[in-house]
Amino acid sequence: MCTLDQDGCTTCGDVAVPARVLQVEGNSAHVIDRAGNAAEVATDFVPGVRAGDVVMVHMGVAIGRADETL
Amino acid sequence: MKFVDEFRDATLIRQAAAEIRRLADSGRQYRLMEVCGGHTHAIYRFALKDLLPDNIELVHGPGCPVCVLPMGRVDDGLSIAGDPNVILTVFGDMMRVPGRNGTPLEHKARGADIRMVYSPLDALKLAQQNPGREVVFFAIGFETTAPSTALTLRRARALGVRNFSVFCNHVTIIPAIRAILDSPDMRVEAFIGPGHVSTVIGCRPYEFICRDYGKPLVTSGFEPLDILQSVVMILRQLQAGTSYVENQYARVVPWDGNLPALRAMAEVFELRPYFEWRGLGFISQSALKLRDSYAEWDAESRFQVPGVRVTDPKAAQCGEVLKGVLKPHQCKLFGRECTPERPVGALMVSSEGACAAYYNYALRTTAAAAV
Repeated sequence: MCTLDQDGCTTCGDVAVPARVLQVEGNSAHVIDRAGNAAEVATDFVPGVRAGDVVMVHMGVAIGRADETL
Repeated sequence: MKFVDEFRDATLIRQAAAEIRRLADSGRQYRLMEVCGGHTHAIYRFALKDLLPDNIELVHGPGCPVCVLPMGRVDDGLSIAGDPNVILTVFGDMMRVPGRNGTPLEHKARGADIRMVYSPLDALKLAQQNPGREVVFFAIGFETTAPSTALTLRRARALGVRNFSVFCNHVTIIPAIRAILDSPDMRVEAFIGPGHVSTVIGCRPYEFICRDYGKPLVTSGFEPLDILQSVVMILRQLQAGTSYVENQYARVVPWDGNLPALRAMAEVFELRPYFEWRGLGFISQSALKLRDSYAEWDAESRFQVPGVRVTDPKAAQCGEVLKGVLKPHQCKLFGRECTPERPVGALMVSSEGACAAYYNYALRTTAAAAV
């Protein structure tokens, strides 16, 4: 599983990294991945995202949400 | 986070492998294509092939945008970087992709201002920090990546950043799958569908594969258990004689995709009439360009782009490998003239390319005897 600091060939690997949202500010969020790497990501494509949610991060943009109950 | 540990659990993996052996008809040969380079990489990295019976063959698909980008487009991008006022920004994946006269990394060493960025948003920031320079972003990737470029262009317009432009090489996955399905030497029975492309486009665009071609498709996650579960789901469909789209990666992939991301792509991009893919040739409506309403940010309008055409080396058999007719090590150049250090063919270029993954992980085992 990739992390925010080591995600291989991101375009070819169809890579998105799960990261938990710590804080949302406008259309960006502070997130942290399972290895503890923090990043700021754009949240335009995950409207209504809140602290505690898990988002899939690709190239600095949250491209979707992850449902931990499934 | 419920994403990794459960999907690497040895007991569950052994159970899935046993279920695969139980379902696989020993009198039948199965050829399943994983569309996505990330799956190819995971299959080799976790040696999943060793858990499958010999009559299940995993065929590696076209899902590596860096690999399928024609060398002429690399040269076109590098020609833009020849303008001393230009800062060309590229993803790390692109830095060692060869053009005719070297890679972006080698051009940088010769003095071109080429910089690596993690996100197109970083390229936009660079443009804001360097108002006297032209910052060009070399955009590449499938539908996973295209929304990030679309978002960046929207922000460039909203912020009025005029010294930023995009050299667009985004491609779309569906036409490539259709080209493979229409190929006369196509021998694939089912597809393991891309996970994160599907996060954006959802599962519906694959329905024609099942309806019109009778091939099951299962969108899959990237952990070992994800991939084995997807194989189980495919075998159950093949055993029952059904073909429909299933979603193994439901924890991430919504059936209808990500609507805000799709809307952003539709606002910014339109389909090119055709686009060349290394190894597959020209495929109609398989790539994106900026709409006229975004022409101001289109590097192909702003700069002289020579439109270089470079013929792939005849000896390289990338097309056959992409269509699953040949395994990587069966190509005449594999491991000799064509290596990850000196790639000749498309699929050796990126670490997620089928040949590079095969070279890095499988050479010591399966391919060793053949090379």
